[in-house]
Amino acid sequence: MSEQTPAPHGEVPQELERALAAEISLGSRMRHVAVGLAGGCAAALVTVLWVTEPRPLPARTQAAFAVLVAIGLAWAVFCGWVLSSRRPLYARDRVLAAGLALVVSAVTGVAGTALAVARATTAQAMAVALVGVALVTAAGLALIGARSRRRALLRMRDARQQEPS
Amino acid sequence: MNQDGLLVVRCQLGEREAFRELVRVWHAPLWRYLRGMVGSAHLADDLAQETWVAVVRGLPRLREPERFAPWLFTIARRALADHLRRAYRNAETPVDTAGAAVGDPLSSVLTATQVEAGLDGLPALEREVLILFHLQDLPLAACAEVLGVPPGTVKSRLHRARRMLRSVLVEKGYEA
Repeated sequence: MSEQTPAPHGEVPQELERALAAEISLGSRMRHVAVGLAGGCAAALVTVLWVTEPRPLPARTQAAFAVLVAIGLAWAVFCGWVLSSRRPLYARDRVLAAGLALVVSAVTGVAGTALAVARATTAQAMAVALVGVALVTAAGLALIGARSRRRALLRMRDARQQEPS
Repeated sequence: MNQDGLLVVRCQLGEREAFRELVRVWHAPLWRYLRGMVGSAHLADDLAQETWVAVVRGLPRLREPERFAPWLFTIARRALADHLRRAYRNAETPVDTAGAAVGDPLSSVLTATQVEAGLDGLPALEREVLILFHLQDLPLAACAEVLGVPPGTVKSRLHRARRMLRSVLVEKGYEA
């Protein structure tokens, strides 16, 4: 239970203002977006390295690859959970996050494809390139959806601002 | 209502200043509702904070910005119910929803009106419907939405609550 002196007649207590400032923080959201993307993309690149190894790997090395992929995916899942339940993205945040996701997925797609071209067969390189294209497409669709939602909300805001109060 | 809708849309857009405005506008009504239900200013503060956190987290999913008020009080009511469930589970915490104001030294200072004074003597259901309808000025349909009952039930509950409040006020020495 709170130890603070209650604000008179339901005024906004400072503790609540501080708690809400943390809750709505854009920085916290963008950090989770960045960490989640980094985790997911690192897992993807490690997977490309793993599957394009020219020779069979020792069991220990395979286990190390698996652990690295699992760590990257765990970060991605954790940040996804935070962003869906604890720090939901508002319309402008979603546009920023989707833009960041588009850039990062494009870089990851190109890097993964380059690795596959240098280390693997043409078929494997094509498969990696297709996965990269799928990631970029998903990020692009997310950006289109986010911009569309933001435009809709801007229209709603403008309509309400023009209404006589 | 239009102002609420505009504030909610600005929040959904991600304008951080709009959140502060929304809280400034709605914190006092929310706090009075919770204070009326639990009788303790400290507890009302805690539940209000819990409610606001849930509001901030759920706001992107609110489809009708104009329906913010009933949505807010529905969340507050859920926070209140969760609190009561936790308190009932804890045998060391006595919970009396009908007279929770007892023992709160600030209650007599914070009770501003005769109606609010009378509310402390009412059972929780009747107290809640009076607070929402008369003190928060929520329309009947919004009260029904918050309470999760049909509007007809709200009407009958209001009727019973007014009758009980009248009796309580008469007992306290106010003339009906």
